[in-house]
Amino acid sequence: MARPLSKYSFINAKLRARISKILPGEMFDQLAKASSLDDALALLRETPFAGLEEIYSRTGDLKQAELELLKNEIELYRNIRQYLHHKSMELVDALLTQFEIDNLKNAIRIYFNRKIRKRSDDISIHYILYDRIIHEIPIDIILNAENFDEIAGVCEGTSYSQIIRKYSHTVESEGSLFRMEIAFDHFYYKNLLSSIDKLDKRDRTIALRLTGVEIDLQNINWIIRFKNFYGLPLEAVLAAIVPGGFNLDRAIMDQLYSAQNVTSVLQGFVKSKYPGLSALLSSHTSDSTSRLLLIRRILEEIMKHEVQRILTGYPFTIGIILSYFVLKRNELKKIRIILNAKQLRIQQERIESMI
Amino acid sequence: MIFTTEMIQLFAVVLGKDCERVTETLLREGVMQFINISELEGEKPESLSEIKSEISLTEISDLRKRIEGLLHTGGIIPSKPKETDLNNRISVNIEKEKARLDKISGERESIRERQRTIQQEILKLEDIRRQVELYGVGLSDVTLPAKHSFVSMQVGKLPVLNVKQLEDGLRGLPSLNIAMGQEKDVAHHLLISMKRDNEQIKKILASAGWTRIELPGELRSVKKDVFKELSVKLKTLTDEQKKLEINVNDLVRKEDKRLMEIWGNLRVNELFYKIQTNFKSSSRTVIFTGWLPSAKKEKLTRIIKKACEDRCYLEWNEAGSKGTIGDEVPVRFNNPKILAPFQMLVSNFGIPKYGTIDPTPFVMPLYLAMFGLMFPDVGQGLILTILGALGVSYLRKKEGKEGLYHLSWLGVWCGCSSMLFGALFGSYFGTGLFPPLWFDFHGIISGHGADNSVINDVFDILSITIYFGISVIVLGLIFNWINLIRERKWMELFFDKGSIIGGWIYGGGIYIASYMIAHDYKEFPPGMILFLLIGLPSLLLFIKEPYHFFKHARGQSDRKFNVFTLLNFLMGWIVELLEIFSGYLSNTLSFMRVAGLGIAHVCLMISFFTLAEMTSGIGYVLILILGNILVIGLEGLTAGIQALRLNYYEFFTKFFHGTGNLYTPISLSSSYK
Repeated sequence: MARPLSKYSFINAKLRARISKILPGEMFDQLAKASSLDDALALLRETPFAGLEEIYSRTGDLKQAELELLKNEIELYRNIRQYLHHKSMELVDALLTQFEIDNLKNAIRIYFNRKIRKRSDDISIHYILYDRIIHEIPIDIILNAENFDEIAGVCEGTSYSQIIRKYSHTVESEGSLFRMEIAFDHFYYKNLLSSIDKLDKRDRTIALRLTGVEIDLQNINWIIRFKNFYGLPLEAVLAAIVPGGFNLDRAIMDQLYSAQNVTSVLQGFVKSKYPGLSALLSSHTSDSTSRLLLIRRILEEIMKHEVQRILTGYPFTIGIILSYFVLKRNELKKIRIILNAKQLRIQQERIESMI
Repeated sequence: MIFTTEMIQLFAVVLGKDCERVTETLLREGVMQFINISELEGEKPESLSEIKSEISLTEISDLRKRIEGLLHTGGIIPSKPKETDLNNRISVNIEKEKARLDKISGERESIRERQRTIQQEILKLEDIRRQVELYGVGLSDVTLPAKHSFVSMQVGKLPVLNVKQLEDGLRGLPSLNIAMGQEKDVAHHLLISMKRDNEQIKKILASAGWTRIELPGELRSVKKDVFKELSVKLKTLTDEQKKLEINVNDLVRKEDKRLMEIWGNLRVNELFYKIQTNFKSSSRTVIFTGWLPSAKKEKLTRIIKKACEDRCYLEWNEAGSKGTIGDEVPVRFNNPKILAPFQMLVSNFGIPKYGTIDPTPFVMPLYLAMFGLMFPDVGQGLILTILGALGVSYLRKKEGKEGLYHLSWLGVWCGCSSMLFGALFGSYFGTGLFPPLWFDFHGIISGHGADNSVINDVFDILSITIYFGISVIVLGLIFNWINLIRERKWMELFFDKGSIIGGWIYGGGIYIASYMIAHDYKEFPPGMILFLLIGLPSLLLFIKEPYHFFKHARGQSDRKFNVFTLLNFLMGWIVELLEIFSGYLSNTLSFMRVAGLGIAHVCLMISFFTLAEMTSGIGYVLILILGNILVIGLEGLTAGIQALRLNYYEFFTKFFHGTGNLYTPISLSSSYK
């Protein structure tokens, strides 16, 4: 059995160096202050994201640049994967599944809009990934499929096929992809947790905690969305919840669902589990948008807190890899938010509150 | 040079009517680091208020940044304003300039919109092309599309008048509509589309009066290469995209002269108002204060007096004197340009506190000696020097690349040091081309050193670095004592880790170690000498804790002396002693890495020569070339990092705290990013 030092010393040094290259907060401030999308992209010229400006200048199409960003993100996982021990490799593969699932969901959405909703959604076709991520899935056939059987057929040999077959009738009868997409997400986390189970004890504990926190954040997000935007009853919400969370138990979920003011419940949760983040709770918000932003910020801060905990702890664990992915994901998310906001001409203050 | 530039504080009162001229003068001279007058100690006169500017500084800054962004998109980086820009400073019409920028932005946005539309077309055609490529349709027989293709093809005819309607209808869908020919008022078209859009296509064709036909006999001879047609269309659209991309750049370039002018004026105004934000005014006068190098005092006095025709009051206070405002004196390095790469290394660690020693002039010889000892080779040093020189010539005068420019200079210096030590040790690309000037490093490591040399084995090499390390540490201690004397910190000067007592213990330790080595590790110095060298200073160090306790306990009722206090003293003393003994020992031994890396360098070269000798001809040469490249890359980097580490952790930590505040006056060349 490889020792933690030999397993992680190289990747630890490599990723710590890369972490120092992640765009600093001031850069995001500058991007938010840029007077237009063109100006914001010009600011990225001296950074590893220079390619975005090149694509935008050539095409005038931000989505095209975003697609490149997504490809780079996938490449990043693949790049790190090659330096890892086989057990950690499996975990990175499980994380990569998320991109494959998202891409598959997008392809199925296009099919669904065309065949079931009878809506043309041709533009989205151009912003989908056709290349292999993990499995060889012919996206073209999915986009041009005549029915779900055909889609399930081309996904044969993957776990997606069963999910599609299981939920195709529900999707057709309900006229919504909701259950199928939730099933995909459940599969992603189940697969992730099972790859974590194969890790050594120390790695397992760290990975379970970080993934657990991520699941918590996902669940909190869903509870709020399902209740406020979809009006789902508590039982339906709880059925959709992903098991394996770290902090959220059934009681807190019930509380979150039934609370008039979700932020106050969340504040109580933060106070008990993350007292160090209590400064965040001093913000008082009145309108629902600000409240949602505050909720999102609290969730992000919790994740940041967990990452910080790992980065300052014992260095030779899987934690450094997972933390790097979280930090990188945040960086890319912020870039996407700012660039899209610039295209939509959203005010600087609003952008700042969004990042 | 050893100490940072001497600074002086100016407190000035000028008449309100001279304020503008004085501000311009201060900006032109660019030597004052202002202190916001609100920091004035004591009671502030209520009559003092902010200077009211015609335009808000934020508005000017925002507009300047907006122009900067626009210029950046055209690949233009504005250069810092010059004195002529200040002389020609005019008031900024914010609204007018905003309108001008809005116009440019609007034009740019419409081009982007056009680009987006074309891109959608390109993507649609690429989609079709990809499908055709993937599923290989027999394009020569358009009536027989392949069974598994997602692409649908058909030939049909429609009234010529309806062609436009057809084209409009197909616009939103990925399709290729190719005119095949015309018979009177009827047009023959080949339409390629996606099967998934069949329902929509049918509707569009029906409304355009499309009739599906077999390819007419007379048109069969027209062998249209559909794939080529697709490529031609794509190329046309891509060319159009390129033109639009150039148009966006031209849009900025067309206006660049004017934009640069506005930018320069805005920047000057921004700096002008930034200076004035540090001013306070009464009904008739304006006051300001700030730091500048003492050497600039005479000149600044003269020009301020000239600007306000002697109607001013100027008060000068030396740093540290009672009249100064604020505690922190900014620090300005006082080194010749030649030391710039080493100053970069120092400031990377921290800025020296005002009045303390600036280690830059010492870092240069120490860093280079360490590097040379770890990487001694004339040939490899020469390559490093050439690479550094290339970097210097490429990066010279490149704005924003100053760090890399200095790094290139550092490469040149390190290369020269390698060459010097290479000549001393007789190493030329790992060969002994010429006899060594000092001793044969390679020979000693490979076991055939000259017998008549003063250095005969690896232990002798290691001892050189130990002596070197002792010198560096002692130098650091002396600097610490000088700093403490200058700061009048007498207690720290005598009773601390880096104090005179600390140095006494360290000196004692060195004597004891030398004595033991001289006596084959079998004998200690006599007891009395041991007591005087180690025991007495260790006992004296016990004074430190009680001194601090009684000094700070004065007036604090909760800090009473009891048995636990005594235990605390004892524990503090033991920990301090342990720190001194283990700290100095590890600091000194740390310098053995210099010899270690030098030995590793030689070993690597010996290995490459052994490998090369196992082959012959081109293989021999290739192995040696690759070996040298590897050694230069790997060892060069390692030696650079280790030399830096030794400076930072073994030398700087003895005396350098890096808590200073860098002198950043407001001038025309102030950084705007």
